[in-house]
Amino acid sequence: MKTRNLLLVVIGFVLLLESGARAAGDDWRKLNPKEKDKIRRNYERWEKLPPRDKEHLREEWDRWNRMPQDRRDQLKQRFEDHRRGQD
Amino acid sequence: MENRVAPLQGACKSYEEDLVLYYYAETGANERATIEQHLEQCLRCRKFVDDLGRVLPQMAPKPELPQMFWNDYFRETVAKLDEQTARQNWWRRWFAPMNGWLVPAFGTVAIAVFALALMLEKGDFKSTTETASVNIPAEVLVDSNQLEFFKSLEILESLSTLEQQDGAQPERKSSHTESERGTRAA
Repeated sequence: MKTRNLLLVVIGFVLLLESGARAAGDDWRKLNPKEKDKIRRNYERWEKLPPRDKEHLREEWDRWNRMPQDRRDQLKQRFEDHRRGQD
Repeated sequence: MENRVAPLQGACKSYEEDLVLYYYAETGANERATIEQHLEQCLRCRKFVDDLGRVLPQMAPKPELPQMFWNDYFRETVAKLDEQTARQNWWRRWFAPMNGWLVPAFGTVAIAVFALALMLEKGDFKSTTETASVNIPAEVLVDSNQLEFFKSLEILESLSTLEQQDGAQPERKSSHTESERGTRAA
């Protein structure tokens, strides 16, 4: 009886860990290879930025999140147009 | 009850005890001759002797079973119990060497293998190994906000410029990053 209870506790613990790890990595797994590659490149670039620029980008990120959705869509569209123009 | 002993019919009072002794052949020759003489004349006493022959064997204690019987009985019972135990718990005997900590360990390994199989089946293993090669810290990978931040890094670098081009003033004047300056120069 004692062994069976111990086994059940171990099984429960392992399943809990497995489901937790699975849920935590879901956001990354849902990305397509192109998005993953973009994030990888941006992260590597970010790592090399001086602290001041990092701080600035964090501020810009906060500002971006405070913008209304339609404004963000508008700016995204402009950014895409600008990039296509460069290509 | 079927085995109920029928009551003895009364014999002549003066012969009653002697008739019992006569039945067990424990009387002397003279007494025996006297009793037999009486029996020839007395129907009740003859009936009483017949009844003794019917009733007394039933009242006698049952003979004790010999020790050999009990020994055989015990041996047979133990053998049957052993056979039953062996038939019911064959798997316990199989797992007998794994008593104690080995059972939970075996269970844990089995579950780990099962989880790994599930991951491989869904292609998660590939993405996990891929993650390792990316060299991005785990805290970034599990945080959707951080992932979104790095996905939007380019647009954030150009945010002020985009706003100016769009004819609107930036919400807040801020210093430009090196990369933003690079974008402008381009």
